[in-house]
Amino acid sequence: MKETYVDLVNIRRKVFAEIARIAYNEIDLNELERIPYNIVPGEVAKYRENIFRERAIVEERLRLTLGLNARNLGEFTKVTDGIESINVDEIRFVPPLVNVITFACEACPVRAFLVTDNCRKCLAHPCTNVCPVNAISIGKDRAIIDKEKCIKCGKCKESCPYSAIVEYHRPCAQVCGVNAIENDELGRAKINEEKCVSCGRCITQCPFGAIADKSQIYQLIKALKSKDHMYAIIAPSFVGQFGVLASPAQVFEGIKQLGFKDVVEVSLGADITTLNEAKEFLEKVPNEYPFMGTSCCNSWTMMVQKMFPDQYKYISDSASPMVETAKYIKKKDPDAIITFIGPCISKKLEALREDVKDYVHFVITFEELMGMFVAKDIELSEIVVDEEIQDASNLGRGFAVAGGVAEAVKQTALKLEPTRKIEVESASNLHDCVKLMRIAKAGKKNGYLLEGMACPNGCVAGPGTLASLDRVKKAVNEFKSKSAYTTPLENEKIGDHPIE
Amino acid sequence: MKVKVCMGSHCTLLGAMNILDQVEDLKNLISEDDNYNDEELEIDVLKCPGYCKNAKDNISPVVIIDDEVVFNATSQIVMEKIMKKKRK
Repeated sequence: MKETYVDLVNIRRKVFAEIARIAYNEIDLNELERIPYNIVPGEVAKYRENIFRERAIVEERLRLTLGLNARNLGEFTKVTDGIESINVDEIRFVPPLVNVITFACEACPVRAFLVTDNCRKCLAHPCTNVCPVNAISIGKDRAIIDKEKCIKCGKCKESCPYSAIVEYHRPCAQVCGVNAIENDELGRAKINEEKCVSCGRCITQCPFGAIADKSQIYQLIKALKSKDHMYAIIAPSFVGQFGVLASPAQVFEGIKQLGFKDVVEVSLGADITTLNEAKEFLEKVPNEYPFMGTSCCNSWTMMVQKMFPDQYKYISDSASPMVETAKYIKKKDPDAIITFIGPCISKKLEALREDVKDYVHFVITFEELMGMFVAKDIELSEIVVDEEIQDASNLGRGFAVAGGVAEAVKQTALKLEPTRKIEVESASNLHDCVKLMRIAKAGKKNGYLLEGMACPNGCVAGPGTLASLDRVKKAVNEFKSKSAYTTPLENEKIGDHPIE
Repeated sequence: MKVKVCMGSHCTLLGAMNILDQVEDLKNLISEDDNYNDEELEIDVLKCPGYCKNAKDNISPVVIIDDEVVFNATSQIVMEKIMKKKRK
């Protein structure tokens, strides 16, 4: 998340902590109406024009966090509507994952050019001169752009000596790499489900916090209380997320204190995926496939499936690190109930797939996990633990940062066939992923391994993160160097794991 | 001048790392500006000192600047206090 969006991020996280608290303390869900008063106390609005709206928006967030749908503002629906269906200890998640809270949306104009107060009504007024449709006139106080005529070319903005003309973008729409944000009848943001790949960038970007994803923490906590064989698998980008004083070993121990039997690094699955993708690349490219795309980023593969259906077959068949790690655990414990903890919300959809749902049962983000730690009063930095975590190789741990997957597959493939020439290219934000696929479709990336990451800079910048990019990158590099294994080929833990 | 940012769970949840990032950036900002004295600005992190356990309302995040304990700290308030004290 954007850590500088302090007030928004705090509301979001307080909601997670409250729902976790309700679940752990078995508080009656019919008390849900009281919870907004804990999060938005007092009589004076702090964030919006009135406190009623603030609390109503928090109510919707509570509903989404419980896994319920956002309500239609035009119909009377109790905040507890549908509560029996989600008050269970197994996943009850129904798409859509990403939801616009319509009455939190400020219906920002989509794109416009505006003359600001910076305009000094100068004598030169080049803005009027460069406009291809003669849309600019000089009014009483400043230049005026005729919105009906304006074709949004930007020439006026370029010409102004005072930078008085600004280009205005709707934040959520601008950051969406697949142009899935449209307008409803009131001009509010509306997500086109056919196009959306659930990357979550709109959630991070909206300055009014009007977009939110559904959560599974309530059902997960109920399962932690009622079931055994609960395992957690945690994504490579977890290091440094939970406060600077929490070491990886303390994080693992803290997760166990929440009720999990054991924790495994998803980097272990990344090692397996690396081996599979390296072998697949060496075998299939260029004779069967002109190029190959990595399979670990769910939003990237969804985008390819929706926008480039003919190229979808060139995405690696290898299961993602999340799935490989779950399979690894299932082999040791067939009754295992597995929770993926990561920076990602798209994984919540990946876990619903037919070939994944029997392996990965719950998906939560680092933010949601932090809410659980707070609800249970767990102080990670106080935990006494001295074991070292050694589930994965240096290269496997590198999956967290853009370029890491490609690097791992390339290096491993070169170890298997040292004379092969392997070209890789990485795209790390959804817009660039689309561009890369377009170029590949045109035949310009033959022989390449293409790594697609929907989040800019890779998973370390996912929507479910708590720490800044630089901080996590540094922590990931440090954790990588502590691995006992340089490449997946040396990882003893997966030594006897059959590779497809 | 000693600035200590609490890294307890509750403070971390409510943005302690962001405050730390910004205060650390401030060190760079100050060292480049001759109007400020950049010697001895020590930035540290604390384990939970326990203020939140006894408080009725939310007081996180907590930042301690020399002897002053700031509750509900924001990066702008903390940085303003540092800049005031550091100004030559």
